[in-house]
Amino acid sequence: MGRKPQKNDSLPGSLDMLILRTLSLRDLHGYGIVQFIQQSSNNELLVEEGSLYPALQRLELNGWIDGEWGVTSNNRRAKIYKITTAGRKQLGVETRQYAKLTLAIARVLGAE
Amino acid sequence: MLLRRLRYWIGSARRSAALNEEMELHLAEKAAELQADGMAADHAQAEARRRFGNVGLKHQESREIWLTRFLSEFSQDVRYGVRTMFANKSFSALALLSLALGIGANTTIYSFMESILLRSLPVADPESLVVLNWHSRPPRDGSKQAVHVMHGVQGMAWPGDKGAMVSGMFPYAAFENLRQQNPVFSTLFGYFNGLTHNLVVRRQAASASTEYVTGEYFRGLAVSPAAGRLISSDDDHPGADPVAVISFAASQNRFGGPLNAIGQSILVDNTPFTVIGVAPPEFFGVDPASAPDLYLPLHSNLLVDGDRAARMYPDSNFYWIEVMGRLRPGVSMAQAQAALAPRFHQWVATTASTDGERAKLPVLILNPGAAGLGGLRRQYAKPLYVLLAMVALILAVACANIANLLLARAAARSREMAVRLSLGAGRFRVVRQLLTASALLSSLGGALGVLLAIWGVRSLTLLLSNGQQNFTLHAELNWKVLTVTAVLSMLCGLLFGLLPAIQSTRADVMPALKNGRGGGPRRRAQNVLVVAQIALSFLILFGAGLFVRTLDKLHSVQLGYAREHILLFSLNARQAGHHDPEMTTFYANLRKHFESLPGVSGATLSQSSIINAARTGQAISGTMKVGAVAIEDTHVLAVGSRFLATMQIPILAGREIDDRDQSSSLPVAVISERLARTYFANQDPIGRHIALPDATPTLSQRAPKRDLEIVGVSANLRYGGLKNEDESAMTMFVAVSQFFPDRVTFALRTTGDPLRFLQSVHEIVREADSRIPVTNVVTQAAEIDRTISRELTFAKLCTNNHWYRKHNAVNRSWNSKRM
Repeated sequence: MGRKPQKNDSLPGSLDMLILRTLSLRDLHGYGIVQFIQQSSNNELLVEEGSLYPALQRLELNGWIDGEWGVTSNNRRAKIYKITTAGRKQLGVETRQYAKLTLAIARVLGAE
Repeated sequence: MLLRRLRYWIGSARRSAALNEEMELHLAEKAAELQADGMAADHAQAEARRRFGNVGLKHQESREIWLTRFLSEFSQDVRYGVRTMFANKSFSALALLSLALGIGANTTIYSFMESILLRSLPVADPESLVVLNWHSRPPRDGSKQAVHVMHGVQGMAWPGDKGAMVSGMFPYAAFENLRQQNPVFSTLFGYFNGLTHNLVVRRQAASASTEYVTGEYFRGLAVSPAAGRLISSDDDHPGADPVAVISFAASQNRFGGPLNAIGQSILVDNTPFTVIGVAPPEFFGVDPASAPDLYLPLHSNLLVDGDRAARMYPDSNFYWIEVMGRLRPGVSMAQAQAALAPRFHQWVATTASTDGERAKLPVLILNPGAAGLGGLRRQYAKPLYVLLAMVALILAVACANIANLLLARAAARSREMAVRLSLGAGRFRVVRQLLTASALLSSLGGALGVLLAIWGVRSLTLLLSNGQQNFTLHAELNWKVLTVTAVLSMLCGLLFGLLPAIQSTRADVMPALKNGRGGGPRRRAQNVLVVAQIALSFLILFGAGLFVRTLDKLHSVQLGYAREHILLFSLNARQAGHHDPEMTTFYANLRKHFESLPGVSGATLSQSSIINAARTGQAISGTMKVGAVAIEDTHVLAVGSRFLATMQIPILAGREIDDRDQSSSLPVAVISERLARTYFANQDPIGRHIALPDATPTLSQRAPKRDLEIVGVSANLRYGGLKNEDESAMTMFVAVSQFFPDRVTFALRTTGDPLRFLQSVHEIVREADSRIPVTNVVTQAAEIDRTISRELTFAKLCTNNHWYRKHNAVNRSWNSKRM
């Protein structure tokens, strides 16, 4: 029952943010999101592909993204996700929090 | 949030499928990409799967996102609901009690409606069964005398639309005619209710209700035997071996099991039959109002009923057989009616002998037969609808009451709500929580209600049957009824929970936080509820008052004869093989035996009890005359010695019927005061004569003048039932020994409880002739009540409401204290 989705990314919670950021640029289906994150990070960030789907469900349940059936670029039926207004707001919140966090970590690492 | 989650939850299966499709697509695209990079196809697929991780697990995790949250929140809400219930024990107890009563009453009544109005016969494919009826203008329509092609009927006719007469009885020849070369029915079968016969099994006599059925009956109904074989066409013709099929219950009661019954010989009214089969346990014939113990081939009534039966077959103007058919596949009821109605019309026209008869020929109509015959439905449909409306009102009052209490409680909790809302609790979340609590309350109430309904069904069956021996109305709490109850409970929860929940979360946060006092809208809602409650209660009170008043009126009716301390039971010596002159002595001797019982102050017999007499018919049919004046509207009852004394009917002049009046002596009569006044205005009627109708059978041998001598005058009495009959009908008593009836009803006047003497009665009858069963045992008081059973049922149910209203008042005062 209360099992939490396991995340394998480098920073906890960052997958949600990455998805929101991706969708804020364009509407995509699940595989497209994975590809976009990998390509735009020069293959530095490897999303554990399976974890994407629980994350998408969670984001949709929270009303941050909206999935609708559509057609992909190579003409296959797929659920295309788009970000909602609430999602953009959430992206802003998470981006600021992330910036604060990385700054704090950088300070700690840079302290002598 | 709540709505979306609910949507997710409801669409869970669809969502799950969509998720699968998404994941499959993902894997396919990944594999395609890997393949484009030069990997082999199967290798690429395996690699895609490896990189994806555990597909099943991820699916499960995704599902949990939308499922477990809802469930965990739901269980949170249930826990919260239980806590609030325990926190307000008195409120919960009152709410549960009133809900349980309301839901229990509704479940009880609904289960009766289900069994009477909605249930199908327990046979294969009941939808293709149709009942044949006819309708015509009534016999007395437009003419002074009854004119109709139906000269006689054995069975029922009932009023239809626009004053028409409707019946399901047909002459045998009509059945034969309809059965020939039938393009619309695969089988057409007939039957008639043989009423009760004396059934002797292994020398034990008992009364058995009997159904005479044609050879196609069981085949047409598609019933298979529990043991042996059922009646077939070969068994149903004059001169066939006398065979019988018995009900499953009878096989258990009389033979100790279905298999033991096969091949046994039995006596039906002293005629030997062989049991060839046992009907299945759930089968009760075609009429839900009766469950025959015994099924006999139609033509075997020639053996049991003798000449009377032989006269019925060729008589095209005597209506006595009921007909049902099973439609051929693909044939609709309308098509069948269109095919058969002209044929029946043609046939029935040949049976009319006068223009008056031709003017109102019966017209054939088909009715759905899936639910069996309509007698029970006609009798109980209306009272059940009234009862259902009444209990629905009661439940509505209960709901309004609880809603009101919840509103009062919401006032006490408005501060808490304001705090929760201002801390950021979603309004829907709070409403959902409150609704879960009320749904919990109502489903608990529903569960308790089902328990109450189990008891209710049992006691209502008792009330409705009112001591009738073969009452076969079996209401039960099947899954259909329980589903309705569950839905009803949930509906109640929503009904009484929604308004208070919305109302309490609407509270303006700021003033509530400041002083914790309830605002205006809540008070307005409460006032509306109180008004509705008072209106509904008034309606129920008014209805209950009417029922109770009717009952009071019926109970205060002057009977003119004794009601208490009288035991009634019936014997039929003719069915056990006794014959006329000897039978009278047999009955007279029995009477003396009963009278000699210690504790019995009087014993008598009559052709039927006074209450039942209107239904059993007159002892003398035809017009009697005083001189040249015809006596009209007089009831004639054949009675034995000491009838008036036992029934405590005062004798105003002369004497009553006694042992002097033998079959060999002059026929005599005792007339009621009103009859005497009407036909012998100022003269003394004693010693005067009444001329009998010409064709009166079984008359005493020494009556050359064929008339009755008046020997006494009795006080007036109410004859027949309590509702419709004239308060002081004209009544004439004649001697049972001079007008031999088949069946007689004995009456014993006792000290103390009449039923205490039952054992002795059974012993005396068994000693006299063990072949005769004692039937229709009832006290006079109970038999009188039986005629007003519907009124009694309503009134008794209303007195329960009485209790409910009191409880409601307590509720309300408690409510106002909280405010």
